[in-house]
Amino acid sequence: MILEASDIRKSYGNRMNRTEVLQGIDLNIEQGEFISIMGASGSGKTTLLNVLSSIDRVTSGHIIIEGQDITNLKDKELANFRKNDLGFMFQEYNLLHTLTVKENILLPLSIRNMKKAEVEKQFRLVAEELDTYDVKSKYPSEISGGQQQRTSAARAFIHQPKIIFADEPTGALDSKSASSLLRKLQQLNSKSNSTIMMVTHDATAASYSGRVIFLKDGLIYSTLRKGDHSQEDFYKKIMNTQSVLGGVGVES
Amino acid sequence: MNLNSIILKNFFKNLKNYTLYIFALVFSVVLYFSFVLMSRDDSVAEELTSSDMMSTGFIAGSVLLVVIIVTFVMFANFIFLNRRNRELALFQLIGLTRRKIFRILILENAVIYLGSLIIGIAFGFLLYRTLLMILFRMMQIEISAGMNFSVEAALQTGLLFAFIFALLMAQNYLFLKRTQLINMLTLDKSSESNHKRLGAGTVILGILGLAMIASGYWLSTMIMDFGTLPFLFSILFLTITGTYLTFKFSVAFILNVIRRSKNGHINVKDVLSLTSIMFKMKSNAFLLTLISVISAISMGLMSLSYISYYSVGESVDAFMPHDYVFDEEEDMQFYSELLADNNIKHETVVTPTISYEATGEAIKVDTEASDGLISEFQLNIVSEEHVDGFDVDENEMIITGVSFITESYIEFELNHPVTLVNDDYTRTLELVHVGEDAILPSHVAFGFPQAVVASDVYSTLEEHHNYDEERAQPRESFAIDIAGEDSMEIFEMMEEESNPAFQSKINQYTTQVQGMGMLMFITGFVGFAFLLTSGCILYFKQIGESEDEKGSYQVLRKLGFSENEMIKGLTIKMIVTFGIPLLIGLLHSYFAVNAGWFLFGSEIWTPMLTVMGAYIILYSVFALISLLYYKKVVKESM
Ligand SMILES: Nc1ncnc2c1ncn2[C@@H]1O[C@H](COP(=O)(O)OP(=O)(O)O)[C@@H](O)[C@H]1O
Ligand SMILES: [Mg+2]
Repeated sequence: MILEASDIRKSYGNRMNRTEVLQGIDLNIEQGEFISIMGASGSGKTTLLNVLSSIDRVTSGHIIIEGQDITNLKDKELANFRKNDLGFMFQEYNLLHTLTVKENILLPLSIRNMKKAEVEKQFRLVAEELDTYDVKSKYPSEISGGQQQRTSAARAFIHQPKIIFADEPTGALDSKSASSLLRKLQQLNSKSNSTIMMVTHDATAASYSGRVIFLKDGLIYSTLRKGDHSQEDFYKKIMNTQSVLGGVGVES
Repeated sequence: MNLNSIILKNFFKNLKNYTLYIFALVFSVVLYFSFVLMSRDDSVAEELTSSDMMSTGFIAGSVLLVVIIVTFVMFANFIFLNRRNRELALFQLIGLTRRKIFRILILENAVIYLGSLIIGIAFGFLLYRTLLMILFRMMQIEISAGMNFSVEAALQTGLLFAFIFALLMAQNYLFLKRTQLINMLTLDKSSESNHKRLGAGTVILGILGLAMIASGYWLSTMIMDFGTLPFLFSILFLTITGTYLTFKFSVAFILNVIRRSKNGHINVKDVLSLTSIMFKMKSNAFLLTLISVISAISMGLMSLSYISYYSVGESVDAFMPHDYVFDEEEDMQFYSELLADNNIKHETVVTPTISYEATGEAIKVDTEASDGLISEFQLNIVSEEHVDGFDVDENEMIITGVSFITESYIEFELNHPVTLVNDDYTRTLELVHVGEDAILPSHVAFGFPQAVVASDVYSTLEEHHNYDEERAQPRESFAIDIAGEDSMEIFEMMEEESNPAFQSKINQYTTQVQGMGMLMFITGFVGFAFLLTSGCILYFKQIGESEDEKGSYQVLRKLGFSENEMIKGLTIKMIVTFGIPLLIGLLHSYFAVNAGWFLFGSEIWTPMLTVMGAYIILYSVFALISLLYYKKVVKESM
């Protein structure tokens, strides 16, 4: 078990005007899993991802990552933990515009005491895997959206983190770039046995993962496992659950 | 909710944005109003030996001040408009006409303007007394500064700001007219996309920029030898163009070399300093050039006027050997009696002198620098028995009364021979010492240096001297030294219209100190007004940049880079952003001052380093404030 979350609650606002976004979520993630979080807009997906990834703090509950309870850590320790052990992808404003592709990707390694040659080797491996090696000295504004997201995927993988958190990584991409990115994520997940948790509202995107968790009103509504199903069958199952949930597949 | 209430609500919500703008306005009003108040203060004029000195200085100062203020306020308004761009676009989107938006802007600005004017005048009034006291101190006048509020000064200030208001409205109008709705919505975003790789042109122009500055500096050291106008202009052209190219290309080029050497392996400090500056400095090249060139000019002027001020005592000593000097013996007797009548202890001094032409290896006259005025060098010679504090051996000579101006075209070599010539007679002595203080008044020595020789030598020289009637060279100087301290009261008592003419050391000193003190105060005031406004502009720019980079900070914080790590990078960024314009300004002004300071005084380091130190401190303060702002932004971006 790489991540165990128990009774996660998160609310915003003051005593007078309080919104309970997460109302008691229990979630376990196994090493090497590729897991998707789905739900209608405003259902608390990003909030869940943020608290699990220590970007935000829970109101109550415990999150244990590899035996360490991160809800007790200080801000500085949390930052260190993120820097060393987690990888991130966001929907937009992911890359730093003043850095080249290579510099963006290598950023998480800058804190490690690694030999330059080793860093180069690692970079080449990951960048080639994600098809960004050829654009390594370009600036983000000079490459396509798909290339940008693959660059941020490379940055998320480069330091071999314990878990990679991705918030709607395909949200701003066309379907072709999206599927290419997702296929890469899937490959890296199975090849390097890395753990990925991805938030999405897109059933197709979710069908690339091994388990889908549906959120509704701050609680887990249901869980689907791919198991031995084909991706197509899994996609259909996801669509069914989604329509039962009420959110039709067209929300954004 | 009707439109007016939306606008009103929006106005109050935006008040935080306005603070910057209001600050700029209040600040300008304070500067201008306190300056005008001072120029109208009677207490200064009364104390001055020459009263139109005051008005000329203040008029020149206030013209410069107006230029600085207008530029500053318009620049602040421009930054402010850009920041409100989205909001203005939104107004258009919900159907307001540009005309209506313009009216809103006028209304808002009028309110802000009037408020700032009133606050500024109040603060200006408080500041003016302090400034006046500083001025008095510089002019060495001992009266306490009064507090006179002048309605005319307030009106004059109001008028200037009404004029600036009109200018700003024109600026707003043009801004609204030029920008299309679609541009307005995307304007803030455009800055993100222009990060491109640097081409070969950058490399060439980058090197060229540095080379131009270096050659400008090199030429400036030879300014004394080729002081022609085209030469001066080529120095100005080289340094100013070089400065622009440096900001536009050299900095990016150098940072890019550093960056390339890291081959992608950069850390978070580099991200926040190196890569960010590379692009920002380039787009601010024009502004930075303007700031560093004007900084250099104002630092140069401040240094030179401080050098003059600093050397007043010395330069008076170099021309005036005694407290009072007279043309005729009778005048001296007249004043001696007058002083005795008033019970003032004093001493009359009569110094005999003869004049010889001096040549020899010890004296090198730069005929070019003196424009060929000095074809022969006449030296007034005094015997050691007639002056105090000189000890000269046989065959030796001491030259004294060498002012810093004399030093710029005559060079004296110690332990070399000087040959004295008069008709057929020549005598060669060895130069053993060169001093600054005069022993003969300037109407006797014509401002040239004087020589002291042993009394035997003097007798021989006098014997062989062929007195030339045509030259009418004075044979004696007449002077009075007051026992104890001389004072302006004694001078004023002596100076009656019916009395014979004389020269007074204390009067010369006072006049010069007042004039130089005034000059220094005005260059100082205008210089610091410029420094403060340019510091504010750099600070405003940093606020804008921090907004642009907020997204980056967010990403970095989420990736787990701590506030501390990021602040370290931003500290480097501030050091470079403020340091490079400061460094260039300092270097420019150093070379400018170095090229001609010796015409203004005898001491360069203390005055120049004082001015530069003040500049460095104020720039550091602005860098620090900017850093604190960044700190806040980084803290909030999570
Ligand atoms: N910082 C915040 N302050 C107050 N409310 C918030 C904040 N962040 C999110 N929310 C609220 O929490 C709910 C869930 O938001 P979010 O997790 O972003 O949803 P999702 O990502 O599923 O669309 C929303 O109703 C949103 O308004
Ligand atoms: Mg979300």
